[in-house]
Amino acid sequence: MSERKRERAVKLNVINQPKDSYTGGPSSLCPGCGHDQISNVIITAAWENGVEPHRIAKMSGIGCSSKTPAYYLGQSHGFNTVHGRMPSVTTGAYAINKDLLYLGVSGDGDSASIGIGQLIHAIRRNMNMVYIVENNGVYGLTKGQYSATADVGSKKRKGATNEIQPIDLCALAINLGCTFVARSFSGSRRQLTSIIRAGMSHKGFALIDVISPCVTFNNNDESMKSYGYVKDNEVTLHMADYIPHFDPMEEVEVPEGHFRDITLHDGSTIRLETISEEHDPSDSMAALTALHDAETNRKHVTGLLYFNSEKPSLDEDLDLVDTPLLDLDDSEIRPSKESLDALNAEFLS
Amino acid sequence: MDNIVNDFTLNIATANGTGSQSANLILLDSLFEMGVPVSGKNLFPSNISGLPTWYILRLSEKGYQAPGDRTHIQILVNPATWEEDIEALEPGSVIIWNSDTKKKTVEREDIISYPVPMTSMARKINPKLAKLVTNIIYVGVVAELLGIDQKCLENAVSKQFKGKSSAIELNIEALQTGRDYCTENLEKKDPYIVEKRERRTKQFFIEGNEAVALGSIYGGCQMLAWYPITPSSSVAEGIIAYIPRLRTDEDGKTNLAVIQAEDELAAAGMVLGAGWAGGRGMTATSGPGISLMQEFIGLAYFAEVPSVFWDVNRVGPSTGLPTRTQQSDISMLYEGSHGDTQHIVLIPGTVEECFEFGWVAFDCAERFQTPIFGLSDLDLGMNKWACSGFEYPDKPMDRGKVVREKEVFEAFETFGRYLDIDGDGIPYRTLPGSGMDPILYRGTGHNPMGVYSEKPDDYRNLMVRLREKIDNSRDLLPEPLMREEEDSDIGIIYLGSMENSIQEIDDILLEMGHHVNQCRVRALPFHSDVEEFIRRHKTTIVLEINRDGQLYGILRRELPNDIVTNVHSVAYSDGLPPRARIYANLISEKLKEVNE
Repeated sequence: MSERKRERAVKLNVINQPKDSYTGGPSSLCPGCGHDQISNVIITAAWENGVEPHRIAKMSGIGCSSKTPAYYLGQSHGFNTVHGRMPSVTTGAYAINKDLLYLGVSGDGDSASIGIGQLIHAIRRNMNMVYIVENNGVYGLTKGQYSATADVGSKKRKGATNEIQPIDLCALAINLGCTFVARSFSGSRRQLTSIIRAGMSHKGFALIDVISPCVTFNNNDESMKSYGYVKDNEVTLHMADYIPHFDPMEEVEVPEGHFRDITLHDGSTIRLETISEEHDPSDSMAALTALHDAETNRKHVTGLLYFNSEKPSLDEDLDLVDTPLLDLDDSEIRPSKESLDALNAEFLS
Repeated sequence: MDNIVNDFTLNIATANGTGSQSANLILLDSLFEMGVPVSGKNLFPSNISGLPTWYILRLSEKGYQAPGDRTHIQILVNPATWEEDIEALEPGSVIIWNSDTKKKTVEREDIISYPVPMTSMARKINPKLAKLVTNIIYVGVVAELLGIDQKCLENAVSKQFKGKSSAIELNIEALQTGRDYCTENLEKKDPYIVEKRERRTKQFFIEGNEAVALGSIYGGCQMLAWYPITPSSSVAEGIIAYIPRLRTDEDGKTNLAVIQAEDELAAAGMVLGAGWAGGRGMTATSGPGISLMQEFIGLAYFAEVPSVFWDVNRVGPSTGLPTRTQQSDISMLYEGSHGDTQHIVLIPGTVEECFEFGWVAFDCAERFQTPIFGLSDLDLGMNKWACSGFEYPDKPMDRGKVVREKEVFEAFETFGRYLDIDGDGIPYRTLPGSGMDPILYRGTGHNPMGVYSEKPDDYRNLMVRLREKIDNSRDLLPEPLMREEEDSDIGIIYLGSMENSIQEIDDILLEMGHHVNQCRVRALPFHSDVEEFIRRHKTTIVLEINRDGQLYGILRRELPNDIVTNVHSVAYSDGLPPRARIYANLISEKLKEVNE
């Protein structure tokens, strides 16, 4: 009995790491916060994918969401940057060490307002990173102001109703040619795990917009991002089930029904279970239509909305040497004395 | 009439975008090749085409490089500034003017006038390119009047058009047309001529920005993030231009990533990201860009991220005069961002130093784990300066306190990202991906272990250590350069591109009866030698190109009380490169005031 217990406690992943290797410090967010569920999913996804924990870089901006990197992946370095500017810091780090897995976590204030420009340009460059938006339509740390993703008609506990059109980050990303666009819900543990695992395997920019209700400031029933609302109105477009190429045994969990396999850059496969049969994730117009319909009907469409593995990612665009620049010897990055002598001679001629 | 040899100023008034810059560079290069001591300044507008541009060529046997007090020879091609350019001339000046200019003539009797029908001659050579050719015609006329060597002129043309034979032929023809017109129609009535000189050392012309670019490449720059802004763009473009030759392998792949950012905020973020990841990242910008980068500068200071920022100073505030020069970002760089901060600023005054500080900046950034600023300006950065060659870095790269090996890491008794193990204020760092001492870098308060903290002692200790770290750097940075004579009790402290005017200022002051010593500050925080210099002099003037005396302000605050009152400010800026006489007069007035 006691032996079996220990066996369970030390369950290891493909690189022989226990799940504990992927956990972080205790959360200081409000009890019941959707963000904590996402943190747990990140831990599970990284563990199940068998990523070496120290080869992940945790990136964030400012806000409730951006505090969460302290709560997962304690063996990974991280950078809690400035408000809305996480994409640029990640871009610079990526140029120096393109072999790390960059895992960005952001919020709707970070991504849809102050940092929308940086988000747009990271998408445009097809930066190789996972970019999770923990989207609750509200500024939590500053005590409940509307964000740019707040729905029309949502109401603050005190004060006026929001009348301004929200920004749909998934629709924006698809229009910008983002190569991986998904939406999920912090309470949909199984779906979100699959999506984040797939995002981690994607080579390019993976935008994952996760509706993550704020239990303190945006949990009125009028809000489309409240728990009650989302639970009742979520439309699941796809069930995504992730099958890492090193462990096909996990395929047993694939549910019954229509499905389609998509091969990712690292050779792993993502399998999509199609609920809405006509949706093809390579069809951006269909994805936009699905988003539009969901919005019109005041519903959320979740799942992998759009995916494109053809577009070159930033490292190809930069045409960098294969070795990460970090690992080059000093003599490789300082040209020789002879080269300077030759330049001087040419200048003088 | 005695000839005046190699000692006069030409002012060429044209319109922007007409190709006059090429013509002016041909004049500059051919004079330079003759060994004539010459410098050129381009006064250009913030405009692509049409607005007035002046190019000033100063010939000076004493090697003065500032624009002179007056124009001796005015070349007039631009009708827009016609009247004011003529009016500014002193009696006896020379004017070479395009007599085909509609409704314009030269009526002054007290100047030597050479009318040249430039447009009609140019049309005969090539009607389509008449505007362009007009410029080369005045070069031909000037060459004939001054006696510029034909061989040197042809070499300069060939260099300018990089061996493109059709362009070279066209230009040589235009030059000859100008020369022929001169011999056939004009009688030389002025005293100005040029003569060949032997240079002691061989030299070439190069812009400060290109020198910074090369210095950065030899500094092992691994990532350049930039957003275009005058007058700094040519730093980034210089790096890009040299990458194929200096930083690309046989497969055509590079080890220097260049990212044109969406704005200066993003460029700064990328520099921090590169530094955090363990690489050498930089950006080049101007004052408005630095304004936008302030938030990241504070983060780099507080989280101790090596990063390099070049500021090629232009005239502020706001958009200011984008194509004019100033030394007005000193305070902003030194104390950039909110909260208590202090930054290291490297200040080159010559193109050789632009190269040197280009690589030194990276060593300082990694040694002190902090943002490093290079402060150049439009005058130094975008004008061509004589250079004898660049010196290869005389020491290996200083990568600072980075723990790369597990054995080294494990040898520490206790390790914390912000733990001052050596007592010099500089902690050790580990890198993302290494698996060693992972921490979450942050702009929020943190303790020596890198963990979030709002404890009063943690905050206070951190801020004191940061101050000590920067303070300890002062005597390790480029030291001030002094020129001292024992009999003088007046000292001048100055910085940056003022180097190119200081000798002439000094000579004018000497004529006025003031013997002065010089001290050129090359870095902030001030080297301790600066205080010693001030102590050796009864009176010290801080000379700078701005309104408020920013360097003076910093110095005044940091000097011990007993010598503060010995230091005085002379600050002046009108957007133009410093004219020696203006500053000499201001210094003289200040000295009079002090002595009263």
